Amino acid sequence: MFMNRREIIAVSVFLLMVTCSSVSSAATPLESLILQRDLPKGWTLAEAPQIYKKKTLFQHIDGQAELFFKYGFQQSVFATYQGERSREDQIEVDIYDMGKVIQAFGVFSRFRNEDRPGGFGLDSYLDDHSVFFYKGKYFIMLYAAESNADSLGQFSKLISSKISDSSPPPKEIGHFPKNGLKPGSIQYFPEGLLGHKFLGRGFQGTYMGNAGGKEFKVFMAIFKDSGEAMKAREFYKDDLSRKGKVSSEAIHQSETSVLKGEDPYQGKIILFQKGFYLLGALGFEKEEDADNRLAELIKNVK
Amino acid sequence: MKHISSVFLGAMGSHFWSEIPFAHAEKKSDLEYRTLGKTGLKVSSVSMGVMNCSDPAVLLRAFDLGINFYDTADCYMRGHNEEMVGKAFEGKRQKVFIQTKVHAHDEKKMRASVERSLQRLRTDYIDVLVWHNLSSPSEVSDPKLSEFMSKMKREGKARFTGFSAHSHMASLLREATKSNLHDVVLVSYNFTHSKDLKEAVTMAARSELGIVAMKTQAGGYKKEKMGGLTPHQAALRYVLMDRNVSCAVPGVTTIEQIEECAAVMGTSFSKQDIHPLKQYHSFLQGRICTLCGGCVGECPHGVPYSDLLRVVMYHEGYENDSLVRESLQRITVQDIQRCFACPSCSVICKRGLDMKAQVQMAKQILSSIQV
Repeated sequence: MFMNRREIIAVSVFLLMVTCSSVSSAATPLESLILQRDLPKGWTLAEAPQIYKKKTLFQHIDGQAELFFKYGFQQSVFATYQGERSREDQIEVDIYDMGKVIQAFGVFSRFRNEDRPGGFGLDSYLDDHSVFFYKGKYFIMLYAAESNADSLGQFSKLISSKISDSSPPPKEIGHFPKNGLKPGSIQYFPEGLLGHKFLGRGFQGTYMGNAGGKEFKVFMAIFKDSGEAMKAREFYKDDLSRKGKVSSEAIHQSETSVLKGEDPYQGKIILFQKGFYLLGALGFEKEEDADNRLAELIKNVK
Repeated sequence: MKHISSVFLGAMGSHFWSEIPFAHAEKKSDLEYRTLGKTGLKVSSVSMGVMNCSDPAVLLRAFDLGINFYDTADCYMRGHNEEMVGKAFEGKRQKVFIQTKVHAHDEKKMRASVERSLQRLRTDYIDVLVWHNLSSPSEVSDPKLSEFMSKMKREGKARFTGFSAHSHMASLLREATKSNLHDVVLVSYNFTHSKDLKEAVTMAARSELGIVAMKTQAGGYKKEKMGGLTPHQAALRYVLMDRNVSCAVPGVTTIEQIEECAAVMGTSFSKQDIHPLKQYHSFLQGRICTLCGGCVGECPHGVPYSDLLRVVMYHEGYENDSLVRESLQRITVQDIQRCFACPSCSVICKRGLDMKAQVQMAKQILSSIQV
């Protein structure tokens, strides 16, 4: 006896109950986030939306698919809308399910160029030709062939309103001190923070030096436990000893240790370990600038 | 079916291991530069794919290691990648070769794209400008595309031109050899690829097309997902063993990775490289059923294993759940229940597929798909 539709459903339901599947069950179908009706005035859906998965994303965005894979890409949907002004008047929409809000933020942070918020989702970037924003686990990109910030804004608002995921932004963003922070500069890397394999995943932000001092980076590398953080710190110390300079090392208070030195490619560095975090500043001119920002970051990281 | 199996099995027939001319694993510290076909550029045999790199320190380290050829694209991170390359090599422009890309559109858009690339790269010329991802022979010999590239050369915006290809590489290389319109081809090339591609690369190189190999690691630096294997140097050595390849552009993101890759220069593929590559290949092979039929009739309980594996392959390999549903029509409820209730599986895959893992995957798929 071969399985008919009803039996397949029965087996599927049974398995759903008894297995420990990691697949989320109540996810919104991605296609439903594509605007089909109630479009901004003068726009129509040009073609049926296309779904891309890990095996096919490459056909859509070539080698750049690899960047999305690093950030936990699950699937995406793409649609093109036609405007009434001319044949060239088109808007392309890509909605990426990145699995988690931190990953959606991460990929968003790699695309945004500067701080030009559009007011959509948890954070956004808007210019005349493009919009990027993230909300929940979704990263959304819109591209207008012809300059059209108004329509891009309307599309973005409508798409954002369809996303019910109310996850807050990654809490680590809030740990970075506001004072001196270059707006829109915080980025998340799932691996290779600061171009170092041993730092693994973490966040970085760009800060302005006081009194016209040059820009520098403040970063937060996140590890599984304090042992891993300590190991990475030792790696960094060895690396600095071999290629740059270690100028001092000390245990600072009870919980933190501090390492100072010079990275051959990124300039002066101060590195603190606090629990399973490595917190640091890199490329600063005046040590005072770095000390101030780091003190605040250390305080914010619980 | 053909598509997936050709990727993983293409080169790994008997010819792969039997045709390797072994050299002594002699590690030299010398840098190695090769001529990039008719361009005459002397490029480091290990070069760098910048695509996913986000830190200029990695580029500067690569430069210090003697690497002089960098592959980026107009579209990577909406131009940020080119910006980073431009910023990192400001003041060093004469000492590096930059390859970037343009997508086929109308001339106005293509011209605007090239201008943006020049601006972001902080230069007034691109060393090698390639069409991004051509996929058919007709595109390779398209006179309109060729005319645009000729204009870019005449205007001094590009010194040399070519195209990149991620699929149908052998036929595109043959077309490029025939048409003689290109200087360079950026082609996906690694130890898993077919003998046919190897021959096409040879033919193209003989007609002085510069061959730049990408995707040389056949899966990238994902150690945690590769069972602890570190076949990267061996994979790179394998590609560079082919002297028809001018340079390889492994995609790296960290200083440690570029150091690992650069260390390959001046070394030869040796017997010691065979083992990690064989293991890596088994790892790749062991993830996807190629439907060879070797397990048919193997299950003592009579479960049609190949149909269950087909479910996994359609879901994991093709990501096509319509095909999954079609496959399910061929399996009985009793078969599925018997299989999932069995505490131990005695079926052995002749190609090294982990059958228990496959059954687990089938369970998950059946419980997750919308029937």
